Amino acid sequence: MASHGLTYEGCNFLRQRLVLSALSGKRVKIKNIRSKDDEPGLRDFEANFIRLLDKLTNGSTIEINQTGTVLVYQPGLLYGGTVEHDCNPQRSIGYYLEALLMLGPFMKSPLKATLRGVTNDLTDPTVDLLKSTALPVMKKFGIDGEGFDIKVRTSWYSRGMAPGGGGEVVFTCPVRKTVRPVQLTDPGKIKRIRGVAYSVRVSPQMGNRIVESARGILNQFLPDIYIYTDHMKGANSGKSPGFGLTLVAETLNGYFLSAEMLSTPQGQGDPILPEDLGRNCAKLLLEEIYRGGCVDSSNQSLALLLMTLGQQDVSKVLLGPLSPYTIEFLRHIRDFFQIMFKIEVQKPLEDERKGGDKVLMTCVGVGYSNISKTLK
Amino acid sequence: MPFKKQKQHQQKHSGPKAEKKKLKKQNGSTEEDERKRNPKAFAVQSAVRMAKTFHRAQDIKTKKHHVPVVDRTPLEPPPIVIVVVGPPKVGKSTLIRCLIKNFTRQKLTDICGPVTIVSGKKRRLTFMECNNDINSMIDLAKVADLVLMLIDASFGFEMETFEFLNICQVHGFPRIMGVLTHLDAFKNNKTLRKTKKNLKHRFWTEVYQGAKLFYLSGMVYGEYQNQEVKNLGRFISVMKFRPLVWQTSHPYILADRIEDLTDPERLRTDPKCDRTVSLYGYLRGTHLKNKGQVHIPGVGDFQMSDVNFLPDPCPLPGTQKKRALNEKERLLYAPMAGVGGVVYDKDAVYIDLPANHVKQLQEVRPTTELVQSLIETHVTLDAKMAASKVSLFSGSAGLDPTDIMQEGLREIHVWDAHTQTQRRKVVFTGLEEEEDDVSGSSSDEDDDGSDQENQEEEDDLSTFLKEVRDKSEKATKGSTPPVKKRKLEEMQGEEEVIAEAPAFADSEDELERGEADSEGEGEAERAGDSGHCSKESEEDSDDEEDGDEDDESMEEEIGADDSDEEEEQGKYHSGLFTFSLCSILWTFKWKEGLQQKASAAFLRHQEAAPNLRKLVYGSVVEAEDSEEEEEELGGLFRVNRPQKSKKVQADALDCSHFNPDISHNWELEEMLNSIRDCFVTGQWEEGQDAATLLKEDEELYGDFEDLETGKVHKGTTGEQDQAEVRDSEYSVKMDDEEVQKNKRLEKKRRLKERFDTEYDDGDATYFDDLKEEMQKQAELNRAEFEDMDDESRVQYEGFRPGMYVRLEISSLPCEFVTNFDPHYPVIIGGLGTSEGNVGYLQMRLKKHRWYERILKTRDPLILSLGWRRFQTIPLYHIEDHNGRHRLLKYTPQHMHCGASIWGPITPQGTGFLAVQSVSGVKANFRIAATGVVLDLDKSVTIVKKLKLIGYPYKIFQNTCFIKGMFNTVLEVAKFEGASIRTVSGVRGQIKKALSTPPGAFRATFEDRLLMSDIVFLRSWYPVSIPQLYNPVTSLLLPVGQKDSWSGMRTVGQLKHDLGVRNKPSIDSLYKPITRAPRHFNPLHIPKELQKALPFKSKPKLLQPKGKVPRDLKRASVIREPHERKVAELLRALSTVHHYKKKVAQRAHHAKHKEFLQQKEKDEEAKMKRMKDARKKLYRIMGQKDQKKQRSSLKGTPQDD
Repeated sequence: MASHGLTYEGCNFLRQRLVLSALSGKRVKIKNIRSKDDEPGLRDFEANFIRLLDKLTNGSTIEINQTGTVLVYQPGLLYGGTVEHDCNPQRSIGYYLEALLMLGPFMKSPLKATLRGVTNDLTDPTVDLLKSTALPVMKKFGIDGEGFDIKVRTSWYSRGMAPGGGGEVVFTCPVRKTVRPVQLTDPGKIKRIRGVAYSVRVSPQMGNRIVESARGILNQFLPDIYIYTDHMKGANSGKSPGFGLTLVAETLNGYFLSAEMLSTPQGQGDPILPEDLGRNCAKLLLEEIYRGGCVDSSNQSLALLLMTLGQQDVSKVLLGPLSPYTIEFLRHIRDFFQIMFKIEVQKPLEDERKGGDKVLMTCVGVGYSNISKTLK
Repeated sequence: MPFKKQKQHQQKHSGPKAEKKKLKKQNGSTEEDERKRNPKAFAVQSAVRMAKTFHRAQDIKTKKHHVPVVDRTPLEPPPIVIVVVGPPKVGKSTLIRCLIKNFTRQKLTDICGPVTIVSGKKRRLTFMECNNDINSMIDLAKVADLVLMLIDASFGFEMETFEFLNICQVHGFPRIMGVLTHLDAFKNNKTLRKTKKNLKHRFWTEVYQGAKLFYLSGMVYGEYQNQEVKNLGRFISVMKFRPLVWQTSHPYILADRIEDLTDPERLRTDPKCDRTVSLYGYLRGTHLKNKGQVHIPGVGDFQMSDVNFLPDPCPLPGTQKKRALNEKERLLYAPMAGVGGVVYDKDAVYIDLPANHVKQLQEVRPTTELVQSLIETHVTLDAKMAASKVSLFSGSAGLDPTDIMQEGLREIHVWDAHTQTQRRKVVFTGLEEEEDDVSGSSSDEDDDGSDQENQEEEDDLSTFLKEVRDKSEKATKGSTPPVKKRKLEEMQGEEEVIAEAPAFADSEDELERGEADSEGEGEAERAGDSGHCSKESEEDSDDEEDGDEDDESMEEEIGADDSDEEEEQGKYHSGLFTFSLCSILWTFKWKEGLQQKASAAFLRHQEAAPNLRKLVYGSVVEAEDSEEEEEELGGLFRVNRPQKSKKVQADALDCSHFNPDISHNWELEEMLNSIRDCFVTGQWEEGQDAATLLKEDEELYGDFEDLETGKVHKGTTGEQDQAEVRDSEYSVKMDDEEVQKNKRLEKKRRLKERFDTEYDDGDATYFDDLKEEMQKQAELNRAEFEDMDDESRVQYEGFRPGMYVRLEISSLPCEFVTNFDPHYPVIIGGLGTSEGNVGYLQMRLKKHRWYERILKTRDPLILSLGWRRFQTIPLYHIEDHNGRHRLLKYTPQHMHCGASIWGPITPQGTGFLAVQSVSGVKANFRIAATGVVLDLDKSVTIVKKLKLIGYPYKIFQNTCFIKGMFNTVLEVAKFEGASIRTVSGVRGQIKKALSTPPGAFRATFEDRLLMSDIVFLRSWYPVSIPQLYNPVTSLLLPVGQKDSWSGMRTVGQLKHDLGVRNKPSIDSLYKPITRAPRHFNPLHIPKELQKALPFKSKPKLLQPKGKVPRDLKRASVIREPHERKVAELLRALSTVHHYKKKVAQRAHHAKHKEFLQQKEKDEEAKMKRMKDARKKLYRIMGQKDQKKQRSSLKGTPQDD
């Protein structure tokens, strides 16, 4: 009687598919995973992700064929609780955390996930970025409360830069039965910019150099800029050297736009100067502001998911241009939940100087309720 | 298990309590009086107490609040489902007939399936009769808005009534109205009154105090009295309903029309094949998503292959202001009963047009000819035509939907010429022409279709439609029922038509939309796209026009490419005629090659307002479909090309980063300027600019008086304005005054607003805020998609409740069609996300107090949960104090217990009911248990108590060797350290396994054991829940036997049916208890202890006497006869002597007694005498004394 499930091809968007499958209870089959590749099948980090998903759920069945090119996932119930996981250093913790953010509120018991591995790398949003942008987005949807946090306490939190890793992050998330519909249509003006310039296993001067150069660009717009320098030593500094910058712009209405930039990992590509990094990161933030919207580009899919899972009411959110990842996510949402978004492009007025086109996404939620939660 | 009858409550008839009560009853409410009479009693005695009462009152008040929910009722609600229930022969059909007659002035002889009528300007009703089958009762209770519960007053309540009430209670409580019938059976007025009252009060306790109960006093010519029916009708039409949780969170349809669409050829070859069936009905509850999963109670779970909405067969009248409906608007729609137009039999179509209906039916239904033509061609076509025409008219609002079917064909021309201005070419004559035209149109895309072109299109379209229609008519005339596919195959020659269709589809935005819903997913998207375009063009927003044209041009290019390809391949030609197939074909072609374009165009379109919607939802289709394009070499080998862009994308890096646009150079000043206003330092909008706000504030608060100096400061702006006014000419003065007035009004309004926010909102409670928020959300929900046409609207929010929809389900079992009985409701219940899965459910369950037996674990039970009815095997358990779920063998009598089942995933908080069998009618109450779902979990932790028993075989001091509990050393090893106990309560522990005998172990106890002791180990063994989920397929049973579904039998039933008697274990039998007398060893007290004991506690057992020596033994004397005589005599003498002595003693005794009495008497007399003497003496002495005294006082006494 179980529903027939969906079939996809290729390893791209694996997380989206598995996460949506777990939320919707639909079986998913992914074929031809790197079938034409020299090394066919799932990579280690993907297998690691599946293992994490298995830890979070109860009663899910995962079938992988011998070459690893076909994956069949029959989701179980989201269980949550205390989970410890060693993430594969091929991808950063952000890769895993993005999925956890989506699943966290719909568990049976509040989630407390301890993830170990690479906290910051180039490919995925870093932990700092997610902490400063994803959590506020979720709070807008009523997912809030005590212990909703990605822990950044220096006493036992440590950074691990790209190749080596060795960082640790604790993500705690309360459980919600339903998600509130939202109307996030007016981003408001940016009132302040905050940031963290971090450096591990390099000279502590790096942080200051980054800050200096980033401020140089951003001060043209706003005086209220404060960038913390975060230098970690000893056990907290992970296994590899590196440095980076995360910038977050906060608007009057409490929305966050962010950008980040990291040094190239040790032994991969040309090294980057901290000044260049600061400047480039500031430009990235400007680009993000140019795109605008109420949710920044890396959290678009999270916001859209929470809209989809809301009550059967109209939710609206103003986004910048949709990223390819988000576009695929929208398609997946339609496959899994039969929800289509109304997409309206808002063009800026002639004399307005507020960046590029915005996209107003509107949808009616599916009326999802957390079926894992126990009734007492 | 026979139940003990509980002792009934006995009311007091006499005594103080009864009198008090009587007094109370007589006086009625004396409260006010008391307050006046005794004000002190009601005065404030204690502030704390006062606070407590206040809190309590507030608590009660707050408790009355319902949690506010967003009002999601649609503007045009679906007809209200009125379920008429009652035992057989109570007058259900008669009541429905009367009500229908009352509302529509029409007589409906056969009530068969749901009957929908228009009862008022805002209200439609669907009547459904519930037959006396528990399956129907359960199903209908779930969809009912209002229940008319018929009760035969001459008989009283019957079990069915109570059963139905209990079913209702479990599945959300719809409104229930009781109707008493057969009141004319009472001859005696008093008994009538009494019965009415009794029944009313019983009804009230079941429903709620004051529930409405109607009385239908008697029949007139086989109908109920007009006035009474009218009153009932009035009540129904003003009734308000509250939302029920399950109904408002799930879409559902009560099917009122069913058609079998299966290919007759397939039917002929395989009569048992799965059927494709379309079901029609009003959508209720909430939005229905296409392609969702549904459950049909009594049949099973199905995937909807298609949904589309149709024109309302029973539309509400227009909104003109008048009080009553006219005759035309009193519509009646009951296809299953054969009213309202067409009835479909297995392979024939009956059109019922009674004389008195003709006029109305023409309004509602299309003409027979057209109906037949449409139906006979193919039903998808029918639906499509209907749908597409609706969308044709959406532009020209205010048209009566009833006209649509009739005038559709004619109207198309009008529509073509006027509404749709940017049309593209449509050519129907031949392939070459079409290709030319398409390419032509793509070349001159900027020019928005000249009038000439439009004209051309019109003609082509009309010819095409005519052709279609001709063919369909031809089909109708054919002797065999026309089959779509077969027919198509016959028409091989007509390739123009096929070729035309793609072009047609390509150009016709609106018609595509019509088709959209009936096609696959890709089709839906495609249609939606075009709908979006046209909507925007209607809005005439210049900005978006460009984007649309771009898209359309792109689309056209692709279309052109496709038609080229089609020419080359030429393999789709044979037999594609209908819209559906053509458009499928077309989409396949359309899809190809768009992917690359779309992805390439993505970044380019970022600036140029792309039709994002198309980009997002349009290109999925090719990703799925444009796969295998591999070339073959000699039909054997395939060329394995390096992966194309799509494949690369499929295996690309999974990353949510959005790379920045490289074209933006943030060194440049203009780029920086382009985001200046995003910061607080940038320029603000008119309304929020600091300068404007300041000015406003000045206007409001500019005037003030300095209290110290008494100087009045005036706002500068006002003065300036006045000055300006003075300066200006007289002619413009009037205008200025107007402006001033407006300004003043504005100012006033703002002041008032400020006041309101300051004072009113402070008072608003959390509840009010919440309510307001919900209200806002509801308004937003309504407004968001309001101005959209239905076709595109359904894509975003799904099908709205209130729409008349048609569902197509492709694989229904054939029994559903062959054994269809319209008297049984066909309900299509939508399932939420993951409600289609099966898993473990934990529930709280209580045996119904009216059910006569307790329920046994592992006995199959039929549950009604959510939409479903299914049989499953529950395990009952109870939670121990430490959170352990202990398995129970039976449900407790009057208590809740837990139940775990394997069944469909249903949200927590959903109620369910259980019955043991659904077949037949039993004498007793059938609802065995009720409860609620608590938890869904994939793993369950129910344990049952298991006692392992062993026997000691060697006892040392406190150590003991025990055997028989385990079988191997390994088993013992697993239980090392476990605590064990004897039956007599001596506790111990398992220590270590012994080598022989296998399974024996050494254990220590707190005391020495006896060989006769039994040792046991208490353990908890996890129990697995049997995975039985057996949906009740009662609708698939043959007509007349639908109430005879029987599933898995219980063990007890099986044994009974097969005549198997249980052979019990001999140990379990009851036997007379024979207890061997127990021999106790004597108590041994050590000598030392004995010595120390006090004599009292010393054992008194003397030494047994030893043998008496011979010399000490006395020899026995044997008397001589003489001696014996002497002894005899002596004995006799002594006896006499004794007797004499005794008598003498007795006499002496009596004498002595007498003597004593005498003595006493004498004594007494003596005492008396002495007393008297003493008295006399004392008196004399006293006198003497007196005399002496007197003389001493007087001096010397004189001589006498």
